Amino acid sequence: MEQFFQQLLNGLAVGGIYALVALGYTMVYGVLKLINFAHGDLFTIGAYLGLTLLASWNLAGVLPPAVAVLAVFLMVGLLVALIGVVLERAAYRPLRGANRLSAVVSALGASIFFENAIMLIYGARVYVYPDFLRPDFTVNLFGVSVPGVRLLILGASVALMLALSAFIQRTRMGAAIRATAIDPGAARLMGINVDRVIALVFLIGPGLGGMAGLMVGIYYGQIDFTMGWSYGLKAFTAAILGGIGNIPGAMLGGLLLGVTEALAAGYVAMAWKDAVAFLVLILILIIRPTGILGERTADKL
Amino acid sequence: MNRVFGLVGALALALLPVLSAQPATCGEIKIGLMCPLTGKWASEGQDMKNIVTLLVDETNAKGGINGDTVRLVVEDDAGDPRTAALAAQKLASAGVAAVIGTYGSAVTEATQNIVDEAGLVQIGTGSTSVRLTEKGLERFFRTSPRDDAQGKSAAAAIEKGGYKAVALLHDNSSYAKGLAEESRAALEKAGVRVIFFDALTPGERDYTAILTKLKAADPDLVFFTGYYPETGMLLRQKKEMSWNVPMMGGDAANHQDLVKIAGPEAAAGYFFISPPLPQDMDTKEAKDFLAAYKAKYDSVPVSVWAVLAGDAYKAIEGALAAGKADPEAMAAWLKELKDMPGLSGSLGFDAKGDRVGEFYRTYVVNNEGAFELQPR
Repeated sequence: MEQFFQQLLNGLAVGGIYALVALGYTMVYGVLKLINFAHGDLFTIGAYLGLTLLASWNLAGVLPPAVAVLAVFLMVGLLVALIGVVLERAAYRPLRGANRLSAVVSALGASIFFENAIMLIYGARVYVYPDFLRPDFTVNLFGVSVPGVRLLILGASVALMLALSAFIQRTRMGAAIRATAIDPGAARLMGINVDRVIALVFLIGPGLGGMAGLMVGIYYGQIDFTMGWSYGLKAFTAAILGGIGNIPGAMLGGLLLGVTEALAAGYVAMAWKDAVAFLVLILILIIRPTGILGERTADKL
Repeated sequence: MNRVFGLVGALALALLPVLSAQPATCGEIKIGLMCPLTGKWASEGQDMKNIVTLLVDETNAKGGINGDTVRLVVEDDAGDPRTAALAAQKLASAGVAAVIGTYGSAVTEATQNIVDEAGLVQIGTGSTSVRLTEKGLERFFRTSPRDDAQGKSAAAAIEKGGYKAVALLHDNSSYAKGLAEESRAALEKAGVRVIFFDALTPGERDYTAILTKLKAADPDLVFFTGYYPETGMLLRQKKEMSWNVPMMGGDAANHQDLVKIAGPEAAAGYFFISPPLPQDMDTKEAKDFLAAYKAKYDSVPVSVWAVLAGDAYKAIEGALAAGKADPEAMAAWLKELKDMPGLSGSLGFDAKGDRVGEFYRTYVVNNEGAFELQPR
């Protein structure tokens, strides 16, 4: 039983990161119906930018670790958000009227471009974050010891998700995003600046993805230029699992995927973990083709 | 990314006729080196290139081999079998006398037949899978020891440490899986129980799930046979779980970045078996080489596999100096080679092309995070 709880908590912590990356996928899909394959690489850029900022200004030496981490979080979120906006301008906006497949191909191209750009700029070797940045305390839950930083990551992911949910549901800009998601043409007729809404979506989604990359860097300590691919794939899966386009769904899908993986690794076999996770995805999609929280949308005339 | 490499490779192929049309320069011997200059093993590959370049420069400074200057032809294999096959084809048609390389058993395997069909001698440098020399290619050699030799050394180290219940973990790469299986066989023969045998997925960051499962199996030693990035993550996350079981590894863990990834505290006490690096050896060859390397690159080699590439060059240089430029004669000469002083100890090959001798030593990570070579 102790092992079960331990695996559950392991899974929730990994799932929190999947969820955070999945939010960016889901937001972009919800508004543009575009699967942004470059999202995983924006995540990697977040991890590398975080390390660059920490190292180049020696932030961790000048400020207390907690303040340095917060400052780097804000800067990384902002910088990756800007890259996201540029990406949308350069790679997606020119294709907005075109076939949806063209945009997906453009996204794949952007992904390959980013991955190789990171390799050329930073080199192929593994980089290591300074490890005194991580809060070093352990919490005991149900007789299971959990590194406190796992709970912090889970907490930060949930907090960011709730803030995003509130923003979408409660504010005027949020209402504009929702309106654009339902029907961009009608939203434009109602006086909503659709281009601005889309730019906003590309600020928030990549920003969150970049922060998730930084979180992974600080927590696991090790980053390399290919890391975005596997996290991107997992996050994409999480978004589909929860119902793509649905924000609480992305969170639920991420956590569920993380827990499924941990339990599969613990009770089936480590090598089968991804296979089991994808089997669960297939089963859920057979039962609920729109994902767990996805709604079946009927076209009303 | 592979797409990009594929494209570069295709372009390179298209250029081949142009390159090979050049007349062979008189008084020049070309030697081919395949190594992963990009990709996940780029740091090993860069070091291979550095080391062999250094040795070639030394040869040329001494007047070359029998009056001929040596020119090194380097091809990037990206640590990827498909790219490596293209690299091997390029080298084969560049008119090289022999091919050195490469790192990774599966990558080397993709190049073996290409080099063999070109009629050239190939000396693998970081390819330990048993079957590479068991398939009976006449001109394939390797300066790296085989998985079964390492498995026996690992089992001996485990027995010597008095461990009774061992958990074996690999990463499904042909190297790590081979080593884990060879070790399991050797351990069972020695009467040590293997209570856990499973693989993890390399390249991931979170190994807490497998560590939790391992902890439940309660071994008194965890032997992970994979590479240093995963080893570092395992050590780090094991410490975070406050689980104090000793952990050991094979020669793919012999890389200084291991301690950076794990953190010195989590790495302390970790031990692995590996052929020794030149900086840990007291032979004249190792000392001279190290001094020259430091003078040229202002650092020390961090990967033992790169040093084995240097040994491969030494063997080829020896054959050419003995006038064995013809591949058949070179292969015959190498099979007779015994006790040549190399960078990693005495150098020699058996009839299969495997390196002979016992190189494995135990290293322990001390409290400062440095690798300490244990006395035999």
